[in-house]
Amino acid sequence: MKFFSYISIELKKIRRSHILWILLIPIVILWIPSIVNSGMNFEMQAEGISPEDNFFIQSFMGLAWFMYPATLVIGTVLLNQTERGNRGILKMLSLPVNPAALCMAKFVVLLMLAAAQMVFMILVYFPSAAIASQMNDYNLMISPFLVLRETGLIYLSSLPMAAFYWMVATCITTPVFSIGIGLASIIPSVLAMNTKVWFVYPMCYPFYMITALQGEMAAHFDTFTIELVPWIPVAAGITIICLAVSCIFFGKSERR
Amino acid sequence: MSLTLEQRKLKRTGFFPAFFIGGLLAASFPILNTAVRPDQFIYQPLPALDILMDANWQMIAMLNLSFLVVGSCIMYHTEFSGRAMQKMEALPQRTGNLFAAKTILLIASLIFVLLLEMASLAFCSYHWFSVDNGFWMDLLKTFGYELALFLPASILVMVIASLCPNMWISLGISVICLFVATMLPTDSFIFSLFPFAMPFQTLTGAPKVSVAPISVLMAAGGETILFGVAEAVLGKIRRNLA
Repeated sequence: MKFFSYISIELKKIRRSHILWILLIPIVILWIPSIVNSGMNFEMQAEGISPEDNFFIQSFMGLAWFMYPATLVIGTVLLNQTERGNRGILKMLSLPVNPAALCMAKFVVLLMLAAAQMVFMILVYFPSAAIASQMNDYNLMISPFLVLRETGLIYLSSLPMAAFYWMVATCITTPVFSIGIGLASIIPSVLAMNTKVWFVYPMCYPFYMITALQGEMAAHFDTFTIELVPWIPVAAGITIICLAVSCIFFGKSERR
Repeated sequence: MSLTLEQRKLKRTGFFPAFFIGGLLAASFPILNTAVRPDQFIYQPLPALDILMDANWQMIAMLNLSFLVVGSCIMYHTEFSGRAMQKMEALPQRTGNLFAAKTILLIASLIFVLLLEMASLAFCSYHWFSVDNGFWMDLLKTFGYELALFLPASILVMVIASLCPNMWISLGISVICLFVATMLPTDSFIFSLFPFAMPFQTLTGAPKVSVAPISVLMAAGGETILFGVAEAVLGKIRRNLA
């Protein structure tokens, strides 16, 4: 069986899960107050950030710090519980399929869910910025290229975090611990970001990216610099280790 | 009877160890925070408790809320996963009792976590600050107030969890509510009454909302009753439709 058909099977399994609503609703909730209060962006000029930059960055920060990592945790719960409910995983494992490929296919689906949320975010950003521009008689839209670049950066930098959550979800079959570790690890990410060793804590990468951009845009904020050298190797190492561990432990407790 | 039953059901889910570890994590936070940078806190001309609550409460409240979210999801997950809920409903027992017993257990676990955090704040106050006679009374008042503000959120997460047979949906809704609470403006009284935003307020810390604590407490009580009634009504509707 080709890897592609593994993925299409996994996608079929979650077709009726209503997960897309859970991905979309926070985005809408995020942008509505942002449009209503768009006048407040003009008060931030004292900090040296232009209103259009502020409009963009505030909402993306709101997403990247809590909701986006939490989405990944919810995604892992979805992928695991659709299998464990009615013991679907036992039937899958009794078929002549490669468990590691199954595990990787599920991880790819998790990444697709995260990508869906990012796409929703971009799709809602442009009309929101247009409406807010109309309301304030000022162009609040920033260049689409920058929006795409930043969204891409947030997404790419979240890969190690996704791998970590996937490892936690496959290795720890007690849901209270896997969800609890997931949610509890998001909250201290602001603290981890301010330390010198931020690059060993994958949960803060997306928020670090967006904060670095804010530092570039605003003259009076602390700047977070992105140094590639310790970060990229560490991030790649974390991703590979987490994925390897999750492939090894996938279905272990069921196959006993 | 039904309390011990619910407690037994939770035995193998890891619920109680999870709350214990989570409580330790939340309680270690103020100690670490003060130990790492004591100079930032000890010279402020405020009572010790106010400084500590200002510096740490936002993080602790957020952690406590996420424990409530996870805890409620697990409690109902055990019922829904093997269709145990239908068996429970077939028994000669009021279904409201099930909800009440689970909620009491959740709140009891929350009280345990709050006690750990209280002990941690007391330790910080004695270790780094000088405390006066009224300290213990203030500490008790503060945490009693926070407990009252956590009640609406505790019941709301249970209502959400009891409605959705699929855990990711109840988890998703609760997490979205928590996310909304982090985004609401802190200077408006109406928004601060959102159940998930309420626990972020403190009694002693610099009040951003100029409202007497008593009216916040009354609002918390009102919401608690409202969600309790909502669960009773929704439970009836669900059974009639099922």
